[in-house]
Amino acid sequence: MKQAFPYLLLPVFWSARNRAARRQKGDGLRGTVFGGIALFVILSIYAVVFWLTWQLLDYEELGEYLVRLGFSWLFLTFLSFVAFSAIVTSLSTFFLSEDLRLVLAAPIPAARLFHSRFARTLGQASWMVVVFVIPVLVAVGNVRCAGPAYYATIPLALLPFVLIPCAFGAVLTLLLVNIFPARRARDILMFMGLLFAVALVMLLRFVRPERLLSVESLPDVTAFFATLQSPVTPLLPSFWAGESLFAALRGQWDFVHLGALWTTALCFVVGARILFGWLYFSGWSKAQEARKARFTRLRALDGLARLLPARPSSRVVLVKDLKVFLRDTTQWSQLLLLLALVLVYLYNFRVLDLDRLPFMSGFVKNVYAFVNLAMAAFVLSAVAVRFVFPAVSAEGQAFWIVRSAPVSMRAFLWSKFWIGLVPVLLLAEMLTIVSNQFLGVDPFLKLQSALAMVFMTFALVGLAAGMGAQHPHFGAENLTQVSGSYGGVAYMILAVLFILVQIGLLAWPSSIYLWHQFHELPLQPRHYALMAGVYGLAIGVSAFTFVQPMRRGIRALEAMG
Amino acid sequence: MIRVEDLVKRYGRFTAVDGVSLEVPGGEIHGFLGPNGAGKTTTIRMIAGLLKPTAGRVLVAGHDMAREPEQAKGALGFIPDRPYIYEKLTADEFLRFHAGLYGQDGDGVGKRVAELLDLFELRRWEGELVESFSHGMKQRLVMCAAFLHRPRAVLVDEPMVGLDPRGARLIKDVFREMAKKGVAILMSTHTLEVAAEMCDRISIILGGKIIARGTVDELRQAAGSQDDHLTQVFLKLTGGSGFQEIPEEL
Repeated sequence: MKQAFPYLLLPVFWSARNRAARRQKGDGLRGTVFGGIALFVILSIYAVVFWLTWQLLDYEELGEYLVRLGFSWLFLTFLSFVAFSAIVTSLSTFFLSEDLRLVLAAPIPAARLFHSRFARTLGQASWMVVVFVIPVLVAVGNVRCAGPAYYATIPLALLPFVLIPCAFGAVLTLLLVNIFPARRARDILMFMGLLFAVALVMLLRFVRPERLLSVESLPDVTAFFATLQSPVTPLLPSFWAGESLFAALRGQWDFVHLGALWTTALCFVVGARILFGWLYFSGWSKAQEARKARFTRLRALDGLARLLPARPSSRVVLVKDLKVFLRDTTQWSQLLLLLALVLVYLYNFRVLDLDRLPFMSGFVKNVYAFVNLAMAAFVLSAVAVRFVFPAVSAEGQAFWIVRSAPVSMRAFLWSKFWIGLVPVLLLAEMLTIVSNQFLGVDPFLKLQSALAMVFMTFALVGLAAGMGAQHPHFGAENLTQVSGSYGGVAYMILAVLFILVQIGLLAWPSSIYLWHQFHELPLQPRHYALMAGVYGLAIGVSAFTFVQPMRRGIRALEAMG
Repeated sequence: MIRVEDLVKRYGRFTAVDGVSLEVPGGEIHGFLGPNGAGKTTTIRMIAGLLKPTAGRVLVAGHDMAREPEQAKGALGFIPDRPYIYEKLTADEFLRFHAGLYGQDGDGVGKRVAELLDLFELRRWEGELVESFSHGMKQRLVMCAAFLHRPRAVLVDEPMVGLDPRGARLIKDVFREMAKKGVAILMSTHTLEVAAEMCDRISIILGGKIIARGTVDELRQAAGSQDDHLTQVFLKLTGGSGFQEIPEEL
């Protein structure tokens, strides 16, 4: 091969160009929704940082110090994020990509292969950080009326800043793959990454940052900042990037820290390139070896399934789905994240101190019961889009087995529905009942929320299973892709609409009941009739949302081909 | 046992299968030949109930695939050309799952699974995840599954792809034995030697239409060829014998 290494990146660009040129159904909606969300997030980040920096202008020295500290923390967070992302991406780009066999069989010099794969890793691992760090830096620059030197320093600092963790990630992956088989290394990394995310979510919540906003805890603020300062070490690239930008913000050039960034980046990339020459081929060879996989047999599931009053075909689908789920680290480990979110959710209600509002607490608590119902339903729909919506697509290329078997698509989709319903219903009821208990809402509302949640769970799981069957994605590399597809986005839009309609329908009869209870007035028969009518309508909407997509899903599966 | 009547499949204006009819009685091995893109796999997928025909009818053991799909599929064993299986199940679990789909439950399943794993020489790997299997092992596992419920008709798409000579020999013997027991086998293949060696009758499809049908001798007569090799007969019938001269530079 005579061309320079970017030639090897052409398939990536051509594929992207072809995808853009041959848009599929739903691509426009998906692009608009995701683009809109991304733009909203970017603008929100800009607005929040602009406001915060504006506030800091009032405190001259402290303000300066906090901006400097903020830069260091920002870059430290992104440094760890890019490093982790680079490790996971390197596994794919250097060892697991489908096109590697073709590329490695061609007479390509090792250096060009390394540079092309490293460029892919760099792009994939760092684009998100760059997209989100730029509005932060621009907002700070705008508030502080920074000169051209500041805006010139942004790319000059960012490029070496992302090169360093990417090279580090590539080297670590190279070493890991030489020790473990590549697929096992990926499982270990995915698991570690999720544990990291879970720990971060729980840590951020359990330090109770809202305490900083209360007047009683003002003396703690100094101690809080003191703890923030400790991990900012001058030996990390995050510190150098922060210092370079802070100097530029004041109209100066910090060549020492910029120089440290560039020389370190160069050393890391050259070091990675040398190690690649030594270790890549042995690592690649190991990645090709099909080691004997370790797995749990889960025999108890077979025994438990036999106890179910279901047809053999439904039982085997249940056992198969559970075993496949529990043996796939990328699947079951997401339950850990879900568990953390549930704990944080319940903890929020545990620490919510509504009794501080003495005259309003009863009213606010009851309003919160509806907010809680809506939020629990939203959590439920998020769980359903992640675990129930992809249930049909999870059959993947092996779907021919079920389709060529004497199993009706009706029975198949209903199996998927029940498999999804039971755990989601338990989770939703647990969230609603426990959080309402923590809130101490009126017993009538407790009962109403618990019953409403049953109907809403049937509707949202039915909607997910049915729409998942209407919009399957059998070629997806992982099920997260299915959740983020056109059908998944459409499901979330419909689910949110359904939740809003349900909350509206439930709130009206409840308000009639609570108003009469508060004024100690008896309810008239016409009130009961009205309440029953509206509850009936809510049940009807739930039943329609549950049955209609399931019917359409079955029809879509039957018409497949 | 397998009866196909005027089967048509259109994709927009393109007609992939154009009025295909064929019948495979019990005990016959019927070859289904044709060049790439002739409509073989589309026809096979319609017979297996994986693809909805635009027109026409498929009957398996007397059951209409459109009206009684469960009964028709229950009588059929299907072996696709690419053996996609659930990678996170063991061979034993996959076969038990497959048995369950065909309504088989209870103690007899374990014995039948063991018999087939022995027959297809996979017993040593019954407790291993499918993801660690080679292509040929997966292909043999799919065959175990296809025979598990004792089908009355078997539909095979490219049976020899990915099999070593020993595996190919085994499959040929198994198919012959099944045919002797009265099972109808419809087999699509590119390997003309296999078709010539195994099939009682052969149908040749071209441009979505059946252009010839009969025993190997009958096809030879239809092509006006005295050549022993089926390849020459096939090329004459499908009009593929007029190769360009191979350039010397090659």
